[in-house]
Amino acid sequence: MKTLFERVFSGNDEMYAQAVKAVDEAMAKLGPDAPATFGDTAYSLPCFYALTGKKVGTVGEAKAALENEIKAFMTRNNRTKDIFTSGVATALSAEMIELMKYAVAGGSPYQEPVMGHFTDAQVRELGVPLVTRDIPGVAVIIGPAPTAEEGAALVKEYQSQGIFVTLVGGIIDQCVEQGVKIGFGFRNVALGYDLSSVAHVVSVALRAAIIFGSTEPGNYEAMWRYTMNRVFAFVNAFAPVDDMTVACGAGAIQLGFPVVTNDTEENNMFRVPKSIVIQPDVSKFNATSLEARDIKIKITKIDIPVAFSSAFEGEIVRRGDMQVEFDGSRKTGLELVRAKELTEVEDHRFTLIGPDFDTFEVGSKVDFCMVADVAGKNMNSDFESVFERKFHAYINCMEGVMHTGQRDVIRIRISKAAFEAGVRAKDFAEVLYAKLKSDYDTVIDKCEVTIITDPAECAKFRQEVAIPAYDKRDERLGSLTDENVEQFYTCIMCQSFSPSHVCIVTPERLGLCGAVSWLDAKATNELDPSGPCQIVPKDHIIDENIGRWEEVNDAVKKYSQGALESVTLYSIMEDPMTSCGCFECICGIEPFSNGVVIVNREHAGMTPLGMTFSEMASMTGGGVQTPGFMGHGKHFIASKKFMKAEGGLGRIVWMPKALKDQVAEKVNQSAKELYGVDNFCDMIGDETVTEDAEALLNYLTEKGHPVLSMDPLM
Amino acid sequence: MKLITVEQMEQATERLLETGRKVGADSWQQRVKNQTPHCKFGEEGICCRICSMGPCRITPKAPRGICGCDVHGIVARNYLRFTAGGAATHSDHGRSICHTLYQTKEGGNYTVKDPEKLKRIAGEWGIETEGKDIYDLAHEVAETALMEYGKPFGNCRFLSRAPEHTRRLWHEAGIEPRAIDREVSQSLHMTHMGCSSLPEALIRQSLRAGLCDGWGGSMCGTEFSDVLFGTPKPVDTTANLGVMEKDMVNIVVHGHDPSLSEMIVFYAQDPEMIALAKEQGAKGINICGVCCTANEVAMRHGIPMAGNFLQQENVVLTGACEAIVVDVQCIFPALGPLSKCFHTKFVTTSEIARMPDSEFIHFSEETAGENAKAIVRMAVNNFKNRNQDLIHIPDIKANATVGYSVEAIKKCLDGVTNTQVDVTGTMKPLIECVKSGVLRGAMAFVGCNNPKVRPDTAHIELMKKMLANDILIVVSGCAAQAAAKSGLLDKEAKELCGDGLKRVCELVDIPPVLHMGSCVDISRMMVLASDIAKDSGWNISQIPLVGCAPEWMSEKAVSIGNYVVATGIDTFLGVDPYTKGSTEVTELLQGEHGVKDWVEAKYTVELDIEKLGDRMIEAIEAKRAALGI
Repeated sequence: MKTLFERVFSGNDEMYAQAVKAVDEAMAKLGPDAPATFGDTAYSLPCFYALTGKKVGTVGEAKAALENEIKAFMTRNNRTKDIFTSGVATALSAEMIELMKYAVAGGSPYQEPVMGHFTDAQVRELGVPLVTRDIPGVAVIIGPAPTAEEGAALVKEYQSQGIFVTLVGGIIDQCVEQGVKIGFGFRNVALGYDLSSVAHVVSVALRAAIIFGSTEPGNYEAMWRYTMNRVFAFVNAFAPVDDMTVACGAGAIQLGFPVVTNDTEENNMFRVPKSIVIQPDVSKFNATSLEARDIKIKITKIDIPVAFSSAFEGEIVRRGDMQVEFDGSRKTGLELVRAKELTEVEDHRFTLIGPDFDTFEVGSKVDFCMVADVAGKNMNSDFESVFERKFHAYINCMEGVMHTGQRDVIRIRISKAAFEAGVRAKDFAEVLYAKLKSDYDTVIDKCEVTIITDPAECAKFRQEVAIPAYDKRDERLGSLTDENVEQFYTCIMCQSFSPSHVCIVTPERLGLCGAVSWLDAKATNELDPSGPCQIVPKDHIIDENIGRWEEVNDAVKKYSQGALESVTLYSIMEDPMTSCGCFECICGIEPFSNGVVIVNREHAGMTPLGMTFSEMASMTGGGVQTPGFMGHGKHFIASKKFMKAEGGLGRIVWMPKALKDQVAEKVNQSAKELYGVDNFCDMIGDETVTEDAEALLNYLTEKGHPVLSMDPLM
Repeated sequence: MKLITVEQMEQATERLLETGRKVGADSWQQRVKNQTPHCKFGEEGICCRICSMGPCRITPKAPRGICGCDVHGIVARNYLRFTAGGAATHSDHGRSICHTLYQTKEGGNYTVKDPEKLKRIAGEWGIETEGKDIYDLAHEVAETALMEYGKPFGNCRFLSRAPEHTRRLWHEAGIEPRAIDREVSQSLHMTHMGCSSLPEALIRQSLRAGLCDGWGGSMCGTEFSDVLFGTPKPVDTTANLGVMEKDMVNIVVHGHDPSLSEMIVFYAQDPEMIALAKEQGAKGINICGVCCTANEVAMRHGIPMAGNFLQQENVVLTGACEAIVVDVQCIFPALGPLSKCFHTKFVTTSEIARMPDSEFIHFSEETAGENAKAIVRMAVNNFKNRNQDLIHIPDIKANATVGYSVEAIKKCLDGVTNTQVDVTGTMKPLIECVKSGVLRGAMAFVGCNNPKVRPDTAHIELMKKMLANDILIVVSGCAAQAAAKSGLLDKEAKELCGDGLKRVCELVDIPPVLHMGSCVDISRMMVLASDIAKDSGWNISQIPLVGCAPEWMSEKAVSIGNYVVATGIDTFLGVDPYTKGSTEVTELLQGEHGVKDWVEAKYTVELDIEKLGDRMIEAIEAKRAALGI
């Protein structure tokens, strides 16, 4: 029998030797100056950069990193420090092996279902759900389960709890065999068949530390402290566990991620409390792992015939798999929440007006209204839209059901599988009822749901009830400005992840993640008065133009624990608001035109700044103030307060086309009101126009873009 | 994490000694100078004054005493007498706790605070608990415990707590202790003129007398103190001289027996007494502890610890001590004359420790409440008599988390178990850490201060060294206070640890040095070692665990050393136990074929502290290698 130390050291040596071999082969094939990158990350090589503070861009640099920094981690004393750093060196060697695969392939070496590297945008997308614990944890499953059934059952169990699952090795084929869906959207990602691919998920954890925690790359202890305290990952390693996996496990444990295995002490496995847990019964891996990593699952047991979990949120139902579709663009398709008096609502009542799903023809489009009436002593009609916006997430969490859009332009698809499993109208009602009641239990005392499928009734309801309700709400929302409310709110929901970031949420400036509007913040505050959203009075204004308030500064100072002194709400140049890293969009100044470029997280391409979203995003985030760069939500773009201090949204010179299309209507309207310009968005460049700064300037000149007559930004 | 250094403590002491010089006070520092050099015959243990034919001193020219006893017999006899003194002392402390238990009654001065523990012990001893009034049970258990001291037949009942292998070793070596007093008496008998002079027999009895202490009298003291005053659990406190409060009435409790200090603590919180203090111009009443009493009240109430053995004069030298109230053991007679230089009342309370220049208030179980109240009142009324010019409280204070009884340690360890696979209430999580090598092992630091060692240095430096090497530490007695004073009992001290111990401390939420109590509480460590052995399947002697008393000075410490070694734990001393005059006795205690053949453990004496530390680590690693872990 070997000691644990001997196993880690020998596993580390083995992985290191493989890395040396991979680098040497790449060197021979490509030469030292050949680029080596995973692409789509501003932190290349992510794990290595995080732990050493040094970047790697070429095969030659990779070789040097391996021989110097990585080798230096491989100390061999019989102390825990040595197995920790050797474990980390194993992960770094693994990352090198993966990097060489990318270098040699000149791009991703993987094909479906294997994904390999996560882009920065994907990491950022995971930020909000990890913070809200909507994704309560991250599972790393290594090797094949004893049987494919057991492996698939384990993955499904995690998925049903919303745990983000990553797969390495034999478990991937077991999932494929058992028909478990694999992909980023399913929160079930195949990293690769080789053990070295585990580096891709380590990379997610370490980039989270940099992006959201503003952890300084190269600060080894700060890195593992961040991952230990804030990234709720854990490893499931199936027997037989070899030395290399044990060594990777040591690296995982250094980062705070426990390992649960079904390997045995007889087979030279060790038990270390909360670090290596031997669980011979694979059916108990789930419960054992959650307990080892202190993950608590919020249980919302909803009595419907399909699974209900955030793991299914990104699921797409394709036309061929579709049983029936509700489409607001072709038929009547709407959702509505109405705040009513307590006497008007009967709790948990469900009313169906019209036929149920069984009568619809397969593949047909039908009319559909989904209405929730809520009542409560602390109810406020301002909350209607807050609840209503949650329908999207709630309905999407049903396995085999897809939901997009909002208000009267919703589209819902129900898969054949879900229909066959028994999903009917009452299940939609049950989901809405259960989720609304559990998420908003302090305001919703009673809730009842009505679903209308009768075409005439639907049309009538839309005209007579829904449209007037939306209009009234718009009027109210439109009337809400930063000037006419009495208070703003803080949002520090992200602090579990980004400890020094504070959002100030105002009616005209929603949280940068796009998920928290002023009304949301208000509701959150009323639901949980000591929670993340605190009232910020606005009695003492310092400078109205750039949006500086005494109380805002006080709040920022207090809730950032002194990390920030002051922020302005309407400027990106002077004390701009910080970002946690989860932002939907980032804007950065474009010096040639004196304007700003805005790019959204989904856009992978280049921008006229010569930087991608990831690279721009890496300039800020983690609660750091970077004048000239600012993260924000999509809805903020059309706000009249957007960059008000610098002249407003007329500064926007470039956006990706998809984003532009999404916000065009409102941006045009604001531009009309602010500058008297029609069709402003047509003056804004996009990737179909150019990605070059000079060409962009020509385009702006040609279009007579208002920015050209504005004062210089700097 | 910054520890308070020995240098800082010495500077504080130096400042206080200035005050002392101003008022013409004596100090141990001065008395050490007066007593140096020490008698060489005494140091080597080769002076015999057991009968009046002598004293006989062994030299090359005079190799035998008048009776014909050789140097080995003389050294061994002295060693056994030393042990008997310690065993008697601890055990008598335990006896007085048993008497206190016997005095408990509903609503009385003393009550049963941990009835569960009482029932557990009754169960171990085969005493029926079903349907019995808790106080009837307390009295029955107390009486049974008191019988342990003089029962005519059988062995100490608590031996049944030891692992089977250990009990067999004791049986085979003929060292299972019988009645507690009998082992002390027999030790004195054996060393009487004309009895034993065979070193092997005398050392065997030394182990047996030690065992009657650790597995008898001390264990009674610990266990029934828990029953009476509550089993310690983790509690935050502060330590070092800075715990004394300038604006409050400071009452320092010093000694060993919690029966007194518990009462003082209780009455210091009495609203009537606090009102009286305020009337006298004080902001309140501040109790702090010195020596093992400090350990007892800190671990049960979070009462701050002013200092350990060699700091007892310092508390008076602050000029802010209204009363120093003492019971038994380790109290400097110097406190009498010293207190006369200040307004301080030196209050003795036990007929066992009577001293000149003290106010004697006889403290008895029956009148404990009244006695305590009178003492507190005396201190409060003394507040106005302070000489403001003499007041100086050094501004040094460290945070500490104390109170790790075996029960509390298990509870902490339960926190890192996984209910899907593990059982709770065991030492297994700790064993798994040791087995995997995340922790290299554990060490017990115990014992006193001794001017022969720069005070607290050996404790603090050795502990730091062990922590950096991923070795978990348990402490008791004045060693515990050395750790507390420097900040080693602060959970933040994890920063001084190797990565393995640091991670363990964070996951279990403990400081890296676990405070297990006073010197009688080394019996807790015996239970701890036994439980580790039972849960691991190893013999105690195989566990990567050693004991260390780098600054010991008292007879009690030698008794402790004997029962720790006899329990199978290698023990490292930084001060010689007056045995170097005999090669045979040294070989028996420290050699490969002395006591080690009987109990699988031995002593190591190493006066060079650095080397002592290295040898302890070597011992731990050798045990690991032998286990193949």
